[in-house]
Amino acid sequence: MTAGSGAAVAVANLRKKFGDLEALRGISFDVKAGEIYGLLGPNGAGKSTAINILCGLVTPDAGTASLNGIDVVRQPVEARRTLGVVPQDVAVYPELSARDNLAFFGRLYGLRGTDLRARIDEILQRVNLADRDREPVGQYSGGMLRRLNIAAGVLHRPRAVLFDEPTVGLDPQTRLNILELVRAIATDGAAVVYTTHYLDEAERLCDRIGIIDRGAILAEGTLAELRRAAGEREIVALRGSFRTDAAPVALGELPDLQLIKVSDSELLVSLASAERQLSALLPIAGALGEVREVAVKQPSLENLFIKLTGRELRE
Amino acid sequence: MRTAAIIAAHHLKRIARRPGLILLLMAIPLTLAGIEYAAFAPAAASGKLPPIKVLVLDEDRTFASSAVPRLIGSGPLADYIELDTTADVPSARRSLQRGQASALLVVPQGFQQALFDRRTAEIRFVPNPAQTISPEIVRSMLEMLTAITNGLLARAQAPLDAINKVVAADRPPTEDEVAEISRGFFRAGQQLQILNQLQNLTVDVKRPSGTTQGFEFRGASSFFAYIFPGLVMFGLMFISQALATRLMRDREAGLQRRIAIAPASRAAILAGGAFYLFVALTVVLVLLALIGSLVFRLKLTSPGTLLVIALGFAFFATGLQLLVISMARSDAGAQAVAGALIMILSLLGGAFVPLESYPPVLRAIGELLPNGAAHQAFIDVLVRQKMLGEILRPVAIIFTWALTFTAVAVTLERRRLTT
Repeated sequence: MTAGSGAAVAVANLRKKFGDLEALRGISFDVKAGEIYGLLGPNGAGKSTAINILCGLVTPDAGTASLNGIDVVRQPVEARRTLGVVPQDVAVYPELSARDNLAFFGRLYGLRGTDLRARIDEILQRVNLADRDREPVGQYSGGMLRRLNIAAGVLHRPRAVLFDEPTVGLDPQTRLNILELVRAIATDGAAVVYTTHYLDEAERLCDRIGIIDRGAILAEGTLAELRRAAGEREIVALRGSFRTDAAPVALGELPDLQLIKVSDSELLVSLASAERQLSALLPIAGALGEVREVAVKQPSLENLFIKLTGRELRE
Repeated sequence: MRTAAIIAAHHLKRIARRPGLILLLMAIPLTLAGIEYAAFAPAAASGKLPPIKVLVLDEDRTFASSAVPRLIGSGPLADYIELDTTADVPSARRSLQRGQASALLVVPQGFQQALFDRRTAEIRFVPNPAQTISPEIVRSMLEMLTAITNGLLARAQAPLDAINKVVAADRPPTEDEVAEISRGFFRAGQQLQILNQLQNLTVDVKRPSGTTQGFEFRGASSFFAYIFPGLVMFGLMFISQALATRLMRDREAGLQRRIAIAPASRAAILAGGAFYLFVALTVVLVLLALIGSLVFRLKLTSPGTLLVIALGFAFFATGLQLLVISMARSDAGAQAVAGALIMILSLLGGAFVPLESYPPVLRAIGELLPNGAAHQAFIDVLVRQKMLGEILRPVAIIFTWALTFTAVAVTLERRRLTT
């Protein structure tokens, strides 16, 4: 799909530098109505910069970004009218009730009167906060606050919703609830951009995934497409202390081995079968230094990420 | 505009939900004014300084010695000195130690005889060592009284000599002698009448501006008109800091970001925050003025002119806080900077010590500061009944500061909201 061709969210060749740091290096992606697009990458990959550009908080140096066909740079206010944002940190007023919080955010988006009240009732039911809607939200639990945070972001029925790592630091049950909410919002027809560095969330939730690192989208597709791109190969991580200068030549002697990363503390290689080839790999690695830990990763999205970036998502 | 109003109303609603801190801060100027009221009332209510208490120990117990407290305790000095007799030195010492009096006057034995003998008749003055100003005031008054009394005694020397002559002869006076003594005292008394004219004395004060006006002290209303505006502005600046702190904390909690991604222009968002501060501060100012009027009997003359000054100062306080939070990186940083600025402005602007008492350079600086100008403008209206046309200079100073601070703050904040 090309940028702007009917997509609810369309980003094309977006670039942004902060001083010497190139935060975005020409990223492009589209999200259709009803689709959940996962922007998967480690901290500092460029996810937040992309989100901030879509929100109108950061002006891009080059490229275009539009929401429902409206350019976010040229018509920021109109573009934001169709956008909902759920920030990573809970951003609600603790001294106000859930109803008052939602009323304020609803008014900012032009809702008023009976329409506003009806929508608040509806969204409170949906996030299971209707029975405690009039108490100050400072008394809410962490999970309740997260649900209210989402409610505030989608109260005005946005056609595109940005979720910025909404499950960070949550317990499994609350995470599950939130993922169900996100799915329901997409089912209602909104285009969802979901940033995360949790692989399992991306695998479980997203219709399409873009793997982003160091300001560039390295791979993009459905989960099945990405798994195919990862191939059937396994990744072996050897940790210890190694002589890096001799590693490429020494490891290159092994057939069907691809070197992903070499450092004095880690060697990362891709193999067709770790079970068959590990016995040959270990003596060579031992000759390069000291092997203290061996980890084998089965073919997965994580393997693809490691293969593309040379590092794990948590780094 | 609608969005700005929504944002401002929202923040004001939050204050209404949790008004504790603002009410506490509103209590600061009222408490300070209350303390001053307690210290000076009811004297301040009558338009006079509180009387200084002086103990009198009469060791002579004669007609002349008993005239000493009557002389001090009557006439114009009675307004400034409150006399209380004491039985002996130990009880007088206890009273001084407890701070119940500022000085002790001892009329020693032989006082009357010394007068009749035309010798120096002494009164001992014992200041309370724990006090400084009040004993000095009493000393000055007594020195003045002594000089006047000495002059009168010189005029009454003839009848006194006649009395001494009769006493020395140890016989009753003749009718002629009684008549002569009476005439002598009558003539001295006539000369004393001349001093009564002093009570009708008025003093014209030449102001630096060149206008001549009679100086009047109009009682408690005037007294608090001098001190109350400074205290209110001092308190209001701290209230503005507390209100702005909420905005700063909103920024740190991601709430400002949440508003920034709503479909509202940057101008509307900034105007919302500014309206909130301005409206809240204006309401607080009006409330404090009404409390001042009710509790401290402050006469709110020319309410329109007062409102213009109040709006100007609320506008300035808004600009000041917006500027601080637009430059600050953290809540703690903003509070430290704002607190320091408020204290400096208050000290230089005459919140605690009247600008009139400052050296010329500091006074000129103080009058150019927004709070100093506002203070001066309030006094001009409340005490001197000036109208808006007569206080244009301080009003212009206030609004110039307000506009400058707000413009710089808006520029910085717009830049910060969009990277």
